[in-house]
Amino acid sequence: MKNGFRQSMAWLHTWTGLLVGWLLLLIFMAGTASYYREEISRWMRPELPSARVSTDVAAQRAIAFLQDKAGNAEMWYVTLPQPRNPAMSTFWRVPADQADPSKGRRGAFGDATLDPNTGGELKARDTRGGDFFYRLHFDLHYIPVYWARYLVGFCAMFMLVAILTGVITHKKIFKDFFTFRRDKGLRSWLDFHNVSAVMALPYHAMITYTGIVTLMVMYLPWGVKAVYPQDEDAFFAEAFGGLPEVSAPAEGRATPLPIAQLLDSARAQWNGIDVAGFTVSNPGAGNAVIDIRQRDGKRLSTDTPALRYDMVSGALLEASPPSGGATATRGVMYGLHLARFADGGLRALFFLSGLTGCLMVASGVVLWAVKERPKHAKRGRVGFGLRLVDALNIGTVAGLPIAFAAYFWGNRLLPLDMAERSGAEANVFFYAWAAALLAAFLWPKRLMWAWQLYIGAATFALVPVVNAFTTHAHLGVTMRSGDWVLAGFDLSMLAFGAVLALCGWRMQRWTPPLSAAEKKKRAAAAKAPAAPATTSADASV
Amino acid sequence: MRHSSERASFRPSTFFASERWGVLSRSLAAIVGGYALASMTSVFCAVALPTARGQAVLTGMLLAIVVAACSALWAFATRSALRAWVGILGPTALLAAASRLLGAWA
Amino acid sequence: MTLFALTLSFSAFTALSLAMEKHPQDLHGAAAATPARRARWRVLGWILLAVALTLCVVDHGWAMGPVRWLGALTLSGVPLVFGLYPYRPTWIAPLAIALPLVGLVAALL
Repeated sequence: MKNGFRQSMAWLHTWTGLLVGWLLLLIFMAGTASYYREEISRWMRPELPSARVSTDVAAQRAIAFLQDKAGNAEMWYVTLPQPRNPAMSTFWRVPADQADPSKGRRGAFGDATLDPNTGGELKARDTRGGDFFYRLHFDLHYIPVYWARYLVGFCAMFMLVAILTGVITHKKIFKDFFTFRRDKGLRSWLDFHNVSAVMALPYHAMITYTGIVTLMVMYLPWGVKAVYPQDEDAFFAEAFGGLPEVSAPAEGRATPLPIAQLLDSARAQWNGIDVAGFTVSNPGAGNAVIDIRQRDGKRLSTDTPALRYDMVSGALLEASPPSGGATATRGVMYGLHLARFADGGLRALFFLSGLTGCLMVASGVVLWAVKERPKHAKRGRVGFGLRLVDALNIGTVAGLPIAFAAYFWGNRLLPLDMAERSGAEANVFFYAWAAALLAAFLWPKRLMWAWQLYIGAATFALVPVVNAFTTHAHLGVTMRSGDWVLAGFDLSMLAFGAVLALCGWRMQRWTPPLSAAEKKKRAAAAKAPAAPATTSADASV
Repeated sequence: MRHSSERASFRPSTFFASERWGVLSRSLAAIVGGYALASMTSVFCAVALPTARGQAVLTGMLLAIVVAACSALWAFATRSALRAWVGILGPTALLAAASRLLGAWA
Repeated sequence: MTLFALTLSFSAFTALSLAMEKHPQDLHGAAAATPARRARWRVLGWILLAVALTLCVVDHGWAMGPVRWLGALTLSGVPLVFGLYPYRPTWIAPLAIALPLVGLVAALL
């Protein structure tokens, strides 16, 4: 550009941010919500009891269920109850000759979600729970997953460039570190955007880069193709390889050792770290082996260490090999993005940083409109570009929260035995967002901002009320029984409602700043009454 | 009068001199060229790094993301759209040639 | 321990903001912003940040520790800049002293 370096970076920052800002807002909001996807899922299936049994008892019950339901399987995969997720999930594969032909390709597989308290299958409403938000933020919805991931990756690259150019452009990044001047219009919006970006800058850069890393094998397959020309499976084995393949089932049956004993061996190997789940290969056969996976929480990387034991003798056969440098690095990047290791306090910090990111993106797109508007004031009417941005801003910044709250309303209000219920819940989210966007496009004015913010506030604040009318897991019950996951969810709904209401109120009360001429007139009027008083005083003297 | 005659005659020299084409050209350089450079970076790392094959491939990918972002910055910071393209496609070609020499796509 | 690190971060940021020209002027007028005083605030601020980082690393290791520390910085910085400086500047100094004491008590309990 003919402009200087900083100016061209400023231009690039504006356009990389603006062109994908609204989609980024969806990705950021859904991603931030995903930090609590297990908790959201629990709230959305209030029928799910919390796990009251130990991991070992749960494991015994899972094995008993699988011996009964899938005794002929060649592989059982079990995820044990975790502190944040009380259900057990099981998954199995039967030999190809015993597959169910009516189910086509999936005929060899089966799965069940179990209640560890009973050992039986879980009966809860059909919902995707918090996983809807998790999938939404990289698979989007209604479009093929591949397209969505390329689109999201494209937006993430734009975001990465926006972060880099933002830092380059922000001349006084250290001087303005604590600067926020309120009630000063454009200046305030710029300060807000800057501070929300800088105060969580390591987080924003990390989450964007690591997000791209999670799907980098899909985005950049060329290295694999160049170096593994015929045999891409070898790449996956070499780069991510865990335990080796299991041999075919041997003849003859043998009784395996009690599962608790096997799990304890693993815990001893890991100096007390607990078990996340296990995979049994060739269950019931003489050469049955069990791969026990380590629980999250003590390591940054998502690469899960596993131990392989002989189920009959209890001997330790294999341990996950140590990772290569790049594999370990990628594992840590992936781990930082998913934050599975994060416990209560740290998870809250990640969530708040994610919210700060949403504020950064939102303030950015609003800032552009605020800056652009005076150029249109001379003409007396708003041009097409600004009108489009105004509508998208209102419909997304204020409209998306409405969609999020509507999703929770749908979970409580849709009939429990409805067909395709989880799909219907997702549709509620998008219907609400579409309605907000449509309303915004029809009338992109300040009062529409206020109305949508108020509607968002109401839909959020009323979630606990809808909850009370439709379930027995409302605040009155959950606070008394100390179920802080469910109570915390309801209380968070109230908090979001309050914040949105405050925003709506400020939008409604805003008055345009006075022009210089108007200010002079008012200053003169304020001085005028004083003049006669002085003259009369003089006169008396 | 002058305005209408300017609009009536299409003069390529003034039409293409408009800022818009520069922006479009740089954007293509950044997006398409940047992706090409990133891809060649990942291939080059995969064949050139002295570590195990799988590790070299992964390292190449991690690096390529950064290269793509920097390409975008270069495309808009440099003096002209032509320099943007040369600065991106030049290294891309070099890396491709070097990778071929080192055994890529054998 | 996390609460102590968090509150120390808040005080650290308060000190660092006072090390600039702008903020002590807003709070106490031009006289408060002498270069000597500002340098002292800067040193104190960085020391407190280092202590907060140390606490996080001691408690959670070199992997999780820095992650927690960065999160603590965000969580303490945002209310200071968006909440206190624009709306309740007189609360800043008392909070910068009281909060770490609360955090220390919580850590010792």
